[in-house]
Amino acid sequence: MLSQAVVKRLKEIVGEKNVVTDKVGLLTYGYDGTLLSGEALGVVSPTTTEQVVEIVKLMNEHDIKLVPRGAGTNESGGTIPSEKSVVISFTKMTKIHEIDTENFVAVVEPGVINFDLQVELAKKNFYFPPDPSSFKASTIGGNLGECSGGPKCFKYGVTRDYMLGLEVVLPNGKVIQTGGRNFQSEPGYDLTRIIVGSEGILGLVTKVFVRILPIPRAKKTMLALYDKVEDASQTVADIVAAGIIPTTLELMDNLLINTTEDFTHAGLPRDAGAVLIIEVDGYQEDMDEQVKTIGEIASKIAKEFKVAQSAAEVDQIWTSRRSAFGSVARVRPSYGVNDITVPRSNFPKAIGGVLKVAKDFGVTIGVVAHAGDGNLHPLILFDQRNKEETETVHAAEQALCMMALDLDGTISGEHGIGLVKKKYLDKEFTPAAMEAFRKIKRSFDPSNRFNPGKIIDL
Amino acid sequence: MSNVNISKLKGIVGDAYVIDSPSEMAKYLKGQGKPAVVVLPASTSEVSSIVKLANEKNVKLGVGGAVVDTQGITGGIAMVMSRMNRLLEMDQLNLVAVVEPGLLHKEFLLKVAEFGLNFPPEPYEIETSSVGGCFAIGDSDSKSFEYGPTRTFLLGFEMVLPTGEILEIGNKCIKNVSGLDFIHFAVGSQGTFGIFTKLLVKLLPAPAAKKAVIGTFASMHKANAAFNTLIKRNVHPTRMNLINASLAKNAKPGTEGQLVIVDLQGFKESGKNIANEVASVLTLGGGSDVKIIEEGAEYDQVINGWLKVRAELNAKRSRTVEFVVGPMKMPQALAQLEALTGDLGAYPGVIVEGLLGYVCLALPEGTDKLDLATKVNKLAMSLGGNVKGLLGHKLKADVYNDAEMWKQTTSLLNELRQQFDPKGILNPGVSLEA
Repeated sequence: MLSQAVVKRLKEIVGEKNVVTDKVGLLTYGYDGTLLSGEALGVVSPTTTEQVVEIVKLMNEHDIKLVPRGAGTNESGGTIPSEKSVVISFTKMTKIHEIDTENFVAVVEPGVINFDLQVELAKKNFYFPPDPSSFKASTIGGNLGECSGGPKCFKYGVTRDYMLGLEVVLPNGKVIQTGGRNFQSEPGYDLTRIIVGSEGILGLVTKVFVRILPIPRAKKTMLALYDKVEDASQTVADIVAAGIIPTTLELMDNLLINTTEDFTHAGLPRDAGAVLIIEVDGYQEDMDEQVKTIGEIASKIAKEFKVAQSAAEVDQIWTSRRSAFGSVARVRPSYGVNDITVPRSNFPKAIGGVLKVAKDFGVTIGVVAHAGDGNLHPLILFDQRNKEETETVHAAEQALCMMALDLDGTISGEHGIGLVKKKYLDKEFTPAAMEAFRKIKRSFDPSNRFNPGKIIDL
Repeated sequence: MSNVNISKLKGIVGDAYVIDSPSEMAKYLKGQGKPAVVVLPASTSEVSSIVKLANEKNVKLGVGGAVVDTQGITGGIAMVMSRMNRLLEMDQLNLVAVVEPGLLHKEFLLKVAEFGLNFPPEPYEIETSSVGGCFAIGDSDSKSFEYGPTRTFLLGFEMVLPTGEILEIGNKCIKNVSGLDFIHFAVGSQGTFGIFTKLLVKLLPAPAAKKAVIGTFASMHKANAAFNTLIKRNVHPTRMNLINASLAKNAKPGTEGQLVIVDLQGFKESGKNIANEVASVLTLGGGSDVKIIEEGAEYDQVINGWLKVRAELNAKRSRTVEFVVGPMKMPQALAQLEALTGDLGAYPGVIVEGLLGYVCLALPEGTDKLDLATKVNKLAMSLGGNVKGLLGHKLKADVYNDAEMWKQTTSLLNELRQQFDPKGILNPGVSLEA
């Protein structure tokens, strides 16, 4: 429990209503997108950088750890409170300071919700490319912390590629700026890059300079249906070989087609083994040629290929994909999300590997994948209340991670490590690389004050 | 005089690859420092052994692709990576290449082209730049608006740390957020975290069509106004560059006035239309001799002209001032800059990367660099930018009157460096102070 003196001081810093210490209040901040939970000593929601600095100093005086949090939608356990910690919630730092379309920059506070930024940008015919499926709820600060991806990564990259500069409160309470409003402002070392994806273990980000782009003049959304998942992955390989870089190559298997169909009624055929959503963007005059090439490639194997004819049709297709995670809750009460990624050429093998794990462990797995990136999200369906089943699921998840590593892949393509995948990290990285992470952590946070225990232990 | 143990070095790499006669060493060196020896390793384990030896004897070690900067390594070892120049793998399915660091950038580009692929980063120096150097410098360039900065193209590496240990990281996945992002953090660290011994490079399919539009302008201002028109029209070429009259002749012999080079890499259909649009905007904006270049050899000539000028400026970084503003603020920036520099056309060198809002000024003899940079930084900050890099950070902190922030930044940088290189052995000429 926090002492009365600390609570009083916190309230002085951020105001009475921005401090939570009651049991019920704390409980709601103990969860994220995973099945883990923890309990913080308190939750504090600053509204300015100065307040963040004061909070950091106060916590340092009392040797209390800080766990940063945005919307808490992450799939890694990155925001689960650790022992003797206070959660610092950035959801009240929601100002969009500036949108400068002429110079391709927006300046925002970390609590701005990705979708809210997209809405403001869209008014000016601009957008922020990283849009994880959680984008209606997740914050820019959270996206940054986990280095989120989304469906457009094949062409546009992940969150790190759109971060130009940051204002950061360091574990010693000092404020620095990394980068700036352009690609050329890093101070010797690329500090922005090391902070992006660091899950708050190196510093607390209080202002973000993001790169924004004009909405492409044209886009085309296509849908291909297959008997088997393996067939879909062949189309993916062929499209890339043809020198086309789609924005999107999203795959859902039969299970997900059915669960999303129950929910959205988008009209996907329930008997299809897999669906591939393909999107290209660019100049209007280049669309026909690309669509024709992709159509020829897909039609070699697909049982059906169609091009969306209207914005409504496009929306319908995307609603299915965006609701994929949630839709499985109709089948079983819990699901475990995995984020394994393999080199594109190993994608068919990874699909085979997932089927094998499902069989070996006797678990139900649905697959949704960013196929162009080799990034798979096998969803394992189960009931968390059943202890034995839960343990089987954990074992299956471990098998999935090992399978990805055996295929020269990674245990995380876009969700981050947090607590959930931390135990597998030394399977992916050599001792020298693990030590490099610790050197970096020690440089920023020698006393292990920020989000301790996430990604690595000191 | 020197602690370098020549015979041990010879034992590691073989007699032929340890050079200690000053006359033979010269072609591998640049700068004023006087290293005791040049050594050319052929493998990762040789690099590791050399670094361990340097640690034992507390000898400074500088590394370069074909040529080593000798600053800070007097009496020490200059390591040249040119024997580690193999293309180890070209993986077309995954659009990835595995290369050794000493492979020349220009040779890598030829190989990549043979496979119908594209490696966008520009060479820092046309003839001698290596792929290892490309990522060690890790800059952005005039194509970064479209393709992203250099770091975008590194997926992993093998590195010999300053203590001699070998670190491998990364994989062929184009999406990877596992662990801390040491992969991209190492890019641009100028060999202070370690020596690249293998690089896992991301490639792209080659663009279906390439075209350039060139033209000359009587004034820098008119050319920039034309750039703004293009941005307003939502036209974002691959490159949109401007070279002032003094340098334009080096890029394209016989040029009178300021030279505009617009590079269009993309698809055939849109390429045609955009080239026409760019050409008319340049002509209406006051450009003369505006020309669309479609033929391959002529296109290469134009682009190489740009790279040549770019490399000339890179070669004298101590005598240039680089700054960035918002791209649409460039006309204001140049107008205000002229109050400091006089006529920009006649200035020894000015290049503008229009899409990125970047300017590089080659200083006339006798100009006080720091003084000019300080003034330029104030100007740039009022237009949403700053002087580039570490110097820019110091000048920004000065403007904020925030000495503490500067102190905090440099102490963090030095702490990071020291964590990796406790004895301060590797590339001591790289300064993290401005």
